Amino acid sequence: MTPENLLVLATALPAIGFAIVILLGARVANEKVWSWFTVGMVGGSLVCSVIAYVNFMAGSGEPVSIAWNWLQIGVNADGSGRYLQIGPYVDKMTVLLFAMVTIISTLVHIYSIGYMEGDSRKTRFMAYMQLFTFSMLGIVLGNSLLQLYIFWELVGISSYLLIGFWYEKRGPQLACKKAFVMNRIGDMGFAVGMGILFFKCGGDLVLRSAESGPGIFGTIMDRLAIDPLNAGADNWWLTLAGIGLFMGAMGKSAQFPLQTWLPDAMEGPTPVSSIVHSATMVAAGVYLTARIFPLLTPAAHLFVATIGLITLIMAALIACVQTDIKKVLAYSTLSQLGYMVLALGAGSYTYAMFHLVTHAFFKCCLFQCAGSVIHAAHHEQEMTKYGGLLRKMPITAACFAVCTLAIAGASIPYTEMALSGYYSKDGIIAATVNYGDALAAHGMDWGKVFYWGPTIIAYVTAFYMTRAFVLTFLGKPRDRHLHDHAHEVNWTMWFPQVVLASFAVFIGWSFFKVGANIHETAPEMAQPFDPEHDLAHGFHFVHAALLHGFGWMISIGLGFALYVNGLSIASKIAAIPGIAQIHWWLYNKMGFDGLYDIIAVNLGKALSSILGAFDRYVVDGAVNGAAWIGRELGFLVGGFDYQYVDGTVRGSGRAALRLGSILHRTQAGNIRMYVLILFVAVFTGLAIATPFALGWVWFGLPSH
Amino acid sequence: MIGLSHFLALSAILFGCGAATILTKRNAIGILMGVELILNAANVNLVAFNLYNWAGEAVAQGAAPAVDGLMFAMFIIVLAAAEAAIALAIFLNFYNHFSTIDIERARMLRG
Repeated sequence: MTPENLLVLATALPAIGFAIVILLGARVANEKVWSWFTVGMVGGSLVCSVIAYVNFMAGSGEPVSIAWNWLQIGVNADGSGRYLQIGPYVDKMTVLLFAMVTIISTLVHIYSIGYMEGDSRKTRFMAYMQLFTFSMLGIVLGNSLLQLYIFWELVGISSYLLIGFWYEKRGPQLACKKAFVMNRIGDMGFAVGMGILFFKCGGDLVLRSAESGPGIFGTIMDRLAIDPLNAGADNWWLTLAGIGLFMGAMGKSAQFPLQTWLPDAMEGPTPVSSIVHSATMVAAGVYLTARIFPLLTPAAHLFVATIGLITLIMAALIACVQTDIKKVLAYSTLSQLGYMVLALGAGSYTYAMFHLVTHAFFKCCLFQCAGSVIHAAHHEQEMTKYGGLLRKMPITAACFAVCTLAIAGASIPYTEMALSGYYSKDGIIAATVNYGDALAAHGMDWGKVFYWGPTIIAYVTAFYMTRAFVLTFLGKPRDRHLHDHAHEVNWTMWFPQVVLASFAVFIGWSFFKVGANIHETAPEMAQPFDPEHDLAHGFHFVHAALLHGFGWMISIGLGFALYVNGLSIASKIAAIPGIAQIHWWLYNKMGFDGLYDIIAVNLGKALSSILGAFDRYVVDGAVNGAAWIGRELGFLVGGFDYQYVDGTVRGSGRAALRLGSILHRTQAGNIRMYVLILFVAVFTGLAIATPFALGWVWFGLPSH
Repeated sequence: MIGLSHFLALSAILFGCGAATILTKRNAIGILMGVELILNAANVNLVAFNLYNWAGEAVAQGAAPAVDGLMFAMFIIVLAAAEAAIALAIFLNFYNHFSTIDIERARMLRG
């Protein structure tokens, strides 16, 4: 089979699995059978994806684009129809992401079997996971932005269903609503961006199409003629379209200022968090930005990079003070997504995707480890209650440690032997160095912040991840009861962790050394800043020696020193005036929730009350007025009915009654009276009849 | 010569007596007597009409004499007997109920 057919099959399998499980449900088989059935479906998807990956990489590497006409929405200047097109699109990025998504999805499915043990709606949970996987694969396979948008919304609804899976509880109810609304804001930008692209930039929504012209990838051909750092006034519609489309990514990938839903999404079951934060939901935003990468003008690039920078700094600082283990990981995800978005903004298409893949593995593993700890700790998520779990849960602790090192970018000094996070983050920082220098060369000296930011935050990342590890697994147990009950999880839970951790160790290295040159996974046009690449690396290696040689060790050592005895030292530091306020500010997520409450929620409420008043007085008034007229008319008709129709009926009844009351006196049983009346009547009759009778006898019958 | 008119006059007088009896008597037996008088007034009429009917000339010329009126009279006598029997039975029950046969006492309808 050709890669595109394999990938279509890989996409269809989870959809079929979802349909079968939802339609047949518990009547046909028990949850155990269904769970392994869904694992089988997504496993089949994995096999297809891997075969497609191998085939495609072994082949010429030419993108395969199929676009079918779906809807005609207008006519071109030459009279031919203008169509919205859909179809599969396969290039190296597609097969890479298919492999990544299906591997992680399969492992999360297996993990869910253990984690959701005993949940009364486990079958439905597995079905939703199938839907989630299907939606994400649909996004990756889509050849048209419109098709992307459809699956984009499917991802939205799947995440809504999964985050709010425990809908009996208040927290998940609010969290899934928040995720949905926040994503809506971004999706609005996506829709507007598509509209601008289609109507103002003349772009097809198709990525690349042989029949109908070059598609949006073709647009870059024109753009390459423009100086990347001189955004002319002629392409400001393109800038707007790029920023609009990127807004969709901001919603899905939880970038500043739409980031608040992601930490709240922790209310969902932990398998959901592990897949949301790695392979499916947040990856979709980065994927979209990478797909529209050729469209982004220099101004849009700057916007994207700024958003990424703000997000990565903000989230990393917040992650340093959170005590809920899942919250720490959530902010860590935000920060790492910031890295990817910054890389895209800085022009490093390849390293953004590379970091997306490496991050997906170690972050999924971290979440699964956190889930195992939470599972073992009877759903206690506060790290202040943990401590000393290393001996109780050795496998989980080992996986967590490996992934902590991976996300920290650990490497062996002065060699290229490193965990996966090192390679991808290293590439991103190199790209930002390049970008910062390019900005400075155009008079924007502050552009250097684009590499100082991520460089410093790389230390912070190592620090807060060490903090999470130490607080959870090392030190003395802080909650004796919890510690006594903790135990290693069963194999369906630790097996995926081990697989993911081994991926976290090897994937970066294998891509870098074995899996050919990762630069080749990107379209050639995706590297507009490349001429200065080597120069950037020259400068970068100074950083690399500092950061990845010893820097990660310094951060990790600091984390150990501060937290190995629990929060005793940290709480003293946090009590120092000045730091206490900052700590409070960071602990409350920089007050964004409160800010949005004040601005958006109150504004919404005020608007609602105005609209409510309009509804109550104007709309309801009209309805009530109509009702009032109807009622008055009813009274009128009723009165007529009562007076005249009923009056006639009642009048005839009353007349009959009166007549009866007169006549009844003659029926008193007075027999002689009866006889008298009889005689009188007969004689009267005779007296009247006699003249006629006599006339008849004497004169004959009257003739006519 | 006694003609049809005399019979009719007699009949009318009998009828008048009967009617007067019914209207004035309170005694049920008396009323029954009045009824008998009226019936007999009718009988007199019927017999007289039979005697003076217009077919008399045909009888004189040898046709069989008509007996229609007589037959009616015989039926009325039978009828009167039956009626008297029923009426007396009613009066007996009436007496058992009211211990009298004064028909003024029978005004029990609440008219």
